[in-house]
Amino acid sequence: MALVTDEDVLYEVKNVSKSYGSVVALDNVSMKVRAGEVVGLVGDNGAGKSTLVKILSGAHRPDSGEILLEGKVREWHTPHDAIEAGIETLYQESGLAPHLSVSANVFLGREQVKGGLLGRLGFLANKEMDKQAFQDLKDVGIAVPESNRSVSQLSGGQRQAVAIGRSVAWASKLILLDEPTNHLGARQAGEVLNIIQQVKAKNFGVIFISHTLPHVLQVTDRIVVLRLGKIVADAPTSTFDAEKLLGTITGLI
Amino acid sequence: MTTQVTQAPSTSSRVKGLFKNQQFILVLVLIAMVAFFSFKNHIFFTTAVFANVLSDWIPVVLMAVGETFVIITGGIDLSVGSTVGFSGVIAAFAMRNLTSHNVNQNETLAIGLLVAVAVGAGIGLINALLITRARIVPFVATLATLGAFRGLCIVTTGGGPVGDGPENAINLTVPKYGPFNGPGLVVVIIVAVIGLYLHKSRFGRYTYAIGSNTFAARSAGINVKMHLTKVYVLSGVLAGLAGFYLYLRLSVGSPSSGQSGELDAIAAVVIGGAALAGGIGRISGTVLGSFILTTVTSGLIIIGVAPNWKQVVVAILIAAAVFSQGLRNWTKGGE
Repeated sequence: MALVTDEDVLYEVKNVSKSYGSVVALDNVSMKVRAGEVVGLVGDNGAGKSTLVKILSGAHRPDSGEILLEGKVREWHTPHDAIEAGIETLYQESGLAPHLSVSANVFLGREQVKGGLLGRLGFLANKEMDKQAFQDLKDVGIAVPESNRSVSQLSGGQRQAVAIGRSVAWASKLILLDEPTNHLGARQAGEVLNIIQQVKAKNFGVIFISHTLPHVLQVTDRIVVLRLGKIVADAPTSTFDAEKLLGTITGLI
Repeated sequence: MTTQVTQAPSTSSRVKGLFKNQQFILVLVLIAMVAFFSFKNHIFFTTAVFANVLSDWIPVVLMAVGETFVIITGGIDLSVGSTVGFSGVIAAFAMRNLTSHNVNQNETLAIGLLVAVAVGAGIGLINALLITRARIVPFVATLATLGAFRGLCIVTTGGGPVGDGPENAINLTVPKYGPFNGPGLVVVIIVAVIGLYLHKSRFGRYTYAIGSNTFAARSAGINVKMHLTKVYVLSGVLAGLAGFYLYLRLSVGSPSSGQSGELDAIAAVVIGGAALAGGIGRISGTVLGSFILTTVTSGLIIIGVAPNWKQVVVAILIAAAVFSQGLRNWTKGGE
């Protein structure tokens, strides 16, 4: 594995702590993601994964510690701040709007309007968006039959692919994927992991949060393990096997 | 844990597709009804009767179009009938007052219209605040306003009609353009524009997105509370317009006007193919659904059947609409 210097660090949290009342969710946590790197974030329930994801995505603010994007200290007041800075988050529970078309989902919240007066009245440029969405998805290796088709007609794997494609289409720097292979069959999960490889090849930083350890071992370059709010391991994926990873998560090693 | 791979259905034959199209089926139902009623009593197939059906349809379609937006967001507005009554009554008070001060009739009517719309918007805003700020579920929030504003109709009027308004009000609802009256024609244009807006604009897109998956809408940066507020205000405004139309038709503000109108509105929307779970619905369906409702009402009267049969026929239509919806979902193999 090629050595990367600190200059390549894209996104970083330094000495971040967060408590909810008397419960310490994160205790002095630091982690880094480099451009073109897939970092797996794992840990048991209650280890602080979701809290860290929320801090990384701008949904929550840390009690102490710093967030750095490309070496500059940043503060996210809302998730929108992080999105504007180029960080997209795909939440486990968010998913897509099943009654809308693929392109309507890709463009949700960022619709393009027609030119002229109709556009000012909020009329949508659907054909252009259909075309653009099709292209954006194709760019990350996602083949949807037609982008004006309703999402409810897609399989679970295709839906998740579209959801990831949506994040990639809008992210300029980093994407956070919270359990993207949950509830997917083996073949569909494989498709999603392929997409993550494509995203990595485009020099995005990727943070991959998952309970499914074989997927983590398969797709990541480095694994960060959280236990009881602390980072207990941060090492290249090649240094882990399934047994060692499970042991690190549970604290039995 | 294998997930079923549901392949998207290949484009089936055009005819089959047509029968899966709810609007097409509704048109067939409507034609069948008109044929049946005309066969039973030829008077049904006359311009005069058609004009009457249209005039009945106007307030129903106004309520139902607002209800369509609400139902697509996954909500419900039970207060539209009471909004019709209360906006009509308050507008009637305002117009009586202006008339007693010898204000010109057209100005009086214009102000009455504004008052009715403002009352509707106000009730819509109250619904929206109860739902988005007090976090009361739409069914309960609008059930509360349904009761409150129907009660206020009675309290403010003492239970009797509010008359002594502008004398030319009733003339406005006389058919003038073929079977249409002037205000009715305006309503048709309003409905068409709102329909375009629902299906072609960003506002419409967000309405569907919220009903389809609120969390996805919120995480896409849509201000869900603000959008829902606009939707309930729209529903109130359209009910206010319906209240004003009924005022014109009766030439008085009746405290019972619009009574159980919410049920007609919801029935029209559901017959039109919308799903109460949200995310599905079309204005064309609602227009046809409300038209079928008013056709049944008039038709049964004209062929001499007790009008109470209307409720039975409507019940059957609702059940058929929901059943066919389930059938289509089932054949799609989705959801």
